[in-house]
Amino acid sequence: MTPKRVYGYLAEFESASALYKAAEKVRDAGHKKWDCYSPYPIHGLDKAMGMKKSILPWLVFCGGSLGFLTAITLAYTTQVVIYPTVVQAKPANIFTTAAFFPIMFELTVLLSGFTTLFGLLALMGLPRLNHPLFESEQFARATDDGFFIAIEARDPRFSSEETKTLLEDAGGSNIELVEEPEA
Amino acid sequence: MGHFVTSKDIPADGEHIAPGKLALPMMVCGVIALLGIILSVYLLFIHGDSTEVNQPADTVQGQYAYSWLFAFIFFISITLGGTFWMLLHHVSNSGWGIAVRRLMENLASVFPWFAILAIPFFFPEVQKHLYEWMNEHRIAGTGTYGSVTPEVKETLYANHQALLAAKEFYMNLPFWFGRMVFYFVALGGGIIWLKKISVAQDHDPNPGVERLIFSRKLSMFFLVVFGLTATFLVFDLVKALDFKWFSTMYGVYFFAGCVLNGMALLILTSILLRRAGYLQTVMSPEHHHVMGKLTFAFVVFWGYVTFSQFFLIWYANITEETSYFLLRNTGNWNTASVCLVFGHFALPFLFLLRSDVKKKPGLMIPITIYLFTLHALDHYIMVTPERGPSLTMFSEGGPQLFSTGNVFWLDLIAFVTIGCFFAYFYMRALTKSSLFPHRDPRILESANLFN
Repeated sequence: MTPKRVYGYLAEFESASALYKAAEKVRDAGHKKWDCYSPYPIHGLDKAMGMKKSILPWLVFCGGSLGFLTAITLAYTTQVVIYPTVVQAKPANIFTTAAFFPIMFELTVLLSGFTTLFGLLALMGLPRLNHPLFESEQFARATDDGFFIAIEARDPRFSSEETKTLLEDAGGSNIELVEEPEA
Repeated sequence: MGHFVTSKDIPADGEHIAPGKLALPMMVCGVIALLGIILSVYLLFIHGDSTEVNQPADTVQGQYAYSWLFAFIFFISITLGGTFWMLLHHVSNSGWGIAVRRLMENLASVFPWFAILAIPFFFPEVQKHLYEWMNEHRIAGTGTYGSVTPEVKETLYANHQALLAAKEFYMNLPFWFGRMVFYFVALGGGIIWLKKISVAQDHDPNPGVERLIFSRKLSMFFLVVFGLTATFLVFDLVKALDFKWFSTMYGVYFFAGCVLNGMALLILTSILLRRAGYLQTVMSPEHHHVMGKLTFAFVVFWGYVTFSQFFLIWYANITEETSYFLLRNTGNWNTASVCLVFGHFALPFLFLLRSDVKKKPGLMIPITIYLFTLHALDHYIMVTPERGPSLTMFSEGGPQLFSTGNVFWLDLIAFVTIGCFFAYFYMRALTKSSLFPHRDPRILESANLFN
């Protein structure tokens, strides 16, 4: 029997406020790879966890800008450089740009939307088929009435004793070591 | 997140601006406005009146009529913006902006006073320079304020004014006067009424929700009145400068500018008041964030609507529609119009994208002032290019499209006059009541806003 890989420690907390206070303790202990699980969003929890602002807005801005530039290039090249078409004596030069605004808008929105969706999925590590935490029996209650904190073994500060005592001090109960399932 | 605001932190009698604190600026503004109005009456009615009846002329009087209209429409648009936010606030039953609601009411309450400034538009001496359709009607025999009889219609057809004859159901003098009165009486009355209800709550020892529910019902009705007013006021005053022009987006275009700048002025006022030490408990950077988001939304909306109007006209290429933009895409007007595209839309859009910018008062003050400047340019391009063609200014090269130097000074006089008038009544409204509705049941919800 080969030893399984440890995913991390899972601890249960009795209420949202207990989870909030525990999250502050874990944050102050300097952990980086950990997460809170609760049935519903809790105001200010991301601050208590010391989470940084997401990089996603910047990705979306770059995606939107890329769409904008694509639209300009596409429209200008086809309508002015390669094959200018004169309709109703309208200009076929840089002043045709007014006709390109809808395309610019559409492509900006389209690529922003794509970047939002796929960037979000990429940052969250989705889609995935399974998660090690599902090995835990009690974790099923995270979608019902349970508040959990899981500290991953990948965290540089993780140690089998200190992390456990940290969670105990923070008020966690039912602390269990979650192991990854065998492949 | 500061500390949680409780009812202990809300002063029992609200916050009032200390008496005498605004006395000096109010006095300065009042005196300038009074002198400016006296000067304006001189310029509009006494100075260099051309004796020609129903004949616009390139005189100081004719030029100043356009300056007056430009300044009038600019400042009334800001008050209309405040009105819209107030009504929307009541109707949407929102809790976040209770702390800002009194500022909205104060801004809206300037609107009825503009009836005083609208008086010149009721006189044929001023109308003949601004509204050609009135001249055509009077030439066709309606008399000064008469309605369109079948004979007049015949004459209009004979004078090649088939368009005017077709539009007579809307463009006739009695209806025009009736509408102008309706705008100020109906909407002004509604604003005064709503503000009275709101201020009465401040002195109620047992404030309940009856007033809020009544205000909401009233606002539902007055929001319709507001929509009619904002749209048709600008139709009657600005769009009618060129009665041959058709546009399907003009009312929305004006409305977008109104609402954007109403919000910008609310942000500016609240920042200045917070810097002076008021509104500390009930307002937080979160409110500025929300208001900044709304400003951002309406920057985009303004760009969308304005471009839509241009785009539909540009693509359809119909003579009656393109006249407006042909005039404004000539020479220097074109430079100004292109400035609007980048200055009024692109720059604020990029500037207001970031959330932390909206929370920094030091950055929001310049951007609001910048938005006012560009909004003034926007309205300048709405109104003044009509001046040259309408007044038939002639120079050596034929009819002149652009204002000469002294016309610019006339624009400035009108702008300063009406601006000081506006500032005086806005400050007067601010000092008259508490700065926020401190007995509103949801003031704590607003104070603890988190978004």
